[in-house]
Amino acid sequence: MSAPLLEVRDLRTHFFTREGVVRAVDGVSLSVDRGRTLGLVGESGCGKSVTALSIIGLIPKPPARIVGGEVIFDGRDLTKLSERELEDVRGERIAMIFQDPMTSLNPTLTIETQLVETIRRHNDVSKREARRRGIELLDEVGIPNPDARIRDYPHHLSGGMRQRVMIAIALSCEPDLLIADEPTTALDVTVQAQVLDLLDELRREHDMAMIVITHDMGVIAEVADQVAVMYAGQIVEQASAVELFARPEHPYTEALLGALPQLEDAASRAGRLTAIPGRPPSLLDPPEGCRFAARCPYAGEPDGCAEHPPELRELRPGHLVRSEHPASERARSREGAPA
Amino acid sequence: MTRLIVRRVLWTVPVILLVILMTFVLMRQIEGNPFRHSERAIPESIQQNLEEKYGLDDPWYVQYLRYVKGVVTLDLGPSLVLRNRDVNDIVREHFPPSLELGALAMAFALVFGIPLGLLAALRANKWPDYTAMVVANVGFAVPSFLVATLLIYFFAVRWGDVFDVPTSGWESWQSKVLPTIALGLGPMAYFARLTRGSVLETLQQDYIRTARAKGLRRRRVVVVHTLRNSLIPVVTAAGPILGFLITGSFVIEQIFAIPGIGRYYVTAVTARDYSVVMGLTVLLALIVIVANMVVDILYGILDPRTREAR
Amino acid sequence: MSTTPHQRRALLSPLRLRRERRYPELPNGVPGEAGTPVRASSLWRDAWYRYIRNRAAVIAGVAFLALLAYCLVWPLVSPYDPYEVDFSQASESPSLAHPFGTDQFGRDLFTRTALGGRVSIGIGFAATLVILSIGVAYGAIAGFLGGFVDNTLMRILDALYGLPYLPFAIIVLAIFGGGNFWTMVVALSIASWFTTARIVRGQIITLKENDYVRAAHAVGARWLRVLGRHLLPNTLGVLVIAVFLELPGVILGEAFLSFIGLGISPPDASWGSMAQDGYRAYRTSPHIIIVPSVAIAYLILCANFIADGLRDALDPRTRET
Repeated sequence: MSAPLLEVRDLRTHFFTREGVVRAVDGVSLSVDRGRTLGLVGESGCGKSVTALSIIGLIPKPPARIVGGEVIFDGRDLTKLSERELEDVRGERIAMIFQDPMTSLNPTLTIETQLVETIRRHNDVSKREARRRGIELLDEVGIPNPDARIRDYPHHLSGGMRQRVMIAIALSCEPDLLIADEPTTALDVTVQAQVLDLLDELRREHDMAMIVITHDMGVIAEVADQVAVMYAGQIVEQASAVELFARPEHPYTEALLGALPQLEDAASRAGRLTAIPGRPPSLLDPPEGCRFAARCPYAGEPDGCAEHPPELRELRPGHLVRSEHPASERARSREGAPA
Repeated sequence: MTRLIVRRVLWTVPVILLVILMTFVLMRQIEGNPFRHSERAIPESIQQNLEEKYGLDDPWYVQYLRYVKGVVTLDLGPSLVLRNRDVNDIVREHFPPSLELGALAMAFALVFGIPLGLLAALRANKWPDYTAMVVANVGFAVPSFLVATLLIYFFAVRWGDVFDVPTSGWESWQSKVLPTIALGLGPMAYFARLTRGSVLETLQQDYIRTARAKGLRRRRVVVVHTLRNSLIPVVTAAGPILGFLITGSFVIEQIFAIPGIGRYYVTAVTARDYSVVMGLTVLLALIVIVANMVVDILYGILDPRTREAR
Repeated sequence: MSTTPHQRRALLSPLRLRRERRYPELPNGVPGEAGTPVRASSLWRDAWYRYIRNRAAVIAGVAFLALLAYCLVWPLVSPYDPYEVDFSQASESPSLAHPFGTDQFGRDLFTRTALGGRVSIGIGFAATLVILSIGVAYGAIAGFLGGFVDNTLMRILDALYGLPYLPFAIIVLAIFGGGNFWTMVVALSIASWFTTARIVRGQIITLKENDYVRAAHAVGARWLRVLGRHLLPNTLGVLVIAVFLELPGVILGEAFLSFIGLGISPPDASWGSMAQDGYRAYRTSPHIIIVPSVAIAYLILCANFIADGLRDALDPRTRET
């Protein structure tokens, strides 16, 4: 098998604020193969969006800065590129769509302007040709009556339609990689499924790779081939989607999947629907030991696992986990030590 | 778009009536009238004759309606104090310099203020930003009469031999430079601060991130996506700023001895020259109202969302 | 047409020399996630902490208090009589004996500036309070009653928006037959409250539609309670900011009126009338106009930075969006 399309190695993006250094992304490694979809899942604030923005160099600097790691895309380290070189990568090789289609399109420009400027930025074509392609793209993403719609302003369109426009813009230069940051979160439930289907279909047709960022395991189940679970700026578990759903190892993943009986009991006793009690740690001053310890039902184990930062280790081929007590080892120890 | 403009234009009609009414009611509160106030004792019978001649003995609503009719027919009536002079004459004579001064100062403020603010925002928290903002904050805080006085002091008194700028009158273009700067500096500072804030806010918008994610060149992100949207609040502020310029010109006109309406206005109020005060107030209000109207229409052009909504 | 967020922000917006950046997705621990209403006491305490972290605003606040202290105390302890005319000492440049020099009548400008400051700042605050009272009443009526009343009141405001207040101020001064403290206050506030009314109404409407006010209604809180517990405390912040936003305009208005000879008349002093005195002699003794003008600029600068600091402290939402 050839080298992966994108390989992120030990990426660290920190925010230098007046209150101190916020370690939003703290040693993330992941890879995406050509034509495959990676799902990046975690609670809001865990650093998954910052990871995505770091990949294409869109983090707000200052206060944010990539302080370490590499982003190897198609053989080049994107963190070493100048802004001008990055501009050539963005849109053409790596495209990105964002969570809120209501605010992600410029409200004062027509759809046409926003499509055409992208096409002409990366392709040497006439305005008319760019417009023709724009209409084709709108048609392809399922916007009815595209030659009329292209003259509309964003506020004329519904949320779902706007996200389709965003997708059309992202696709306009046939990127190798599409990063979708919470692409369906802001949409109605019925529209969510349509947009996901569309994304998946387009990925197959255009042979793109995708990174789908979400906090919703349902979205992951629908589109992802590989899954990386992020917690407090780090990857805590990584596996193929099939494997992860069948045999989640990290207590956090288990909690996300709602598969942890103790926690469910606690939640239902409190009368709430939140699955995981507690809050993620502040990334301003993260705990030195295990970052999940404060919320982990196994943190009290006598081996003092909470004190040492756990390493990301390969439990099975292709299945990485960052925990001293992954599910399979717990099961084994229960069998080993009779109650 | 056309509907917006028509509606906006129609709206100015009741507004002007309201302003005339306000001025009218206020003016009537001033004790006496030009004939009863005068130090020279004018015989009662002549006073009555005069009042009758100018309709001052009619009920107030009759006077009001008559005045409105005058405004509609563009006849602002005769001056009550200066014999043989119509308000129209006064306006024709003294209004153009004021209007020109206001327009020049506005242009000065926009041409220097917006780029200064943009520069500051694009270099936020670096030295060009700090420099620009020190200039803007000081420019905003220093009263225009000090600016005017210092300009005269340095360019005409201290370095008078070098520059030889006239410091009074309104004929040559040289005589217009200092008043324009003196009047325009405050609004320039205001526009610079407004533009900076607005650009910084726009730069944080999601659509700017989208534009960058599309790989657009920085120049296009700034000019097409940022500046245009940032100008919306700046344009909105331009209407009231015009009002500020007009009132500010009262002082500037006095310092530079410009034969505009500002100086005339003060004289007319103290002399209780009703028709002149009314005429000039209505005219000033009209300018602001029309400016606001233009601003609203511009707003509609800059921000398509407002086009249908209104 | 009602105010758009753009306009509202534009009105409240002249800037900050602060770092203002948005975090794409606030990572945990990034400060500034405020905005939800909290109990009044901690609201003000938080505001205080946010304020004192803003260096420019703290300096401006201290400078402003120093100015107030100078204006209030110095005339009491000054060795010079601010009214005594002494031509033997006329138009002296700043010296040790007279830090700001003397005016054409030989009066000590350091003392007269403090005296004029009392009048100018006094008029400034009094007029600002009147402006705010009218604006709040008008805006609150419009915002609360809504519907037809709101529509009409706002149309009228739209109409008056941006009208220069100076012509009306001049007419008012003519009605009273001259300028003294209270006539100046009336003259300066009569046509200056339009903006405040707009801001207050916008604020009340936003707050009215806020979920927490709706929630208070939903749990059966009565109107008065909602008004007292939720709406007023949250509007109060905006009003405190508005005081310092309005102040520069009013101070300048006083100065303009006095400068063209319609304001405070001699021998009483305001910074505007002192500037008028100075203007007569600017060729020979420019310090006489510079001193009161710089005092005005100093006050306006303080007010601007205080307003900025207060806005960041009391209305964190404006820096979030």
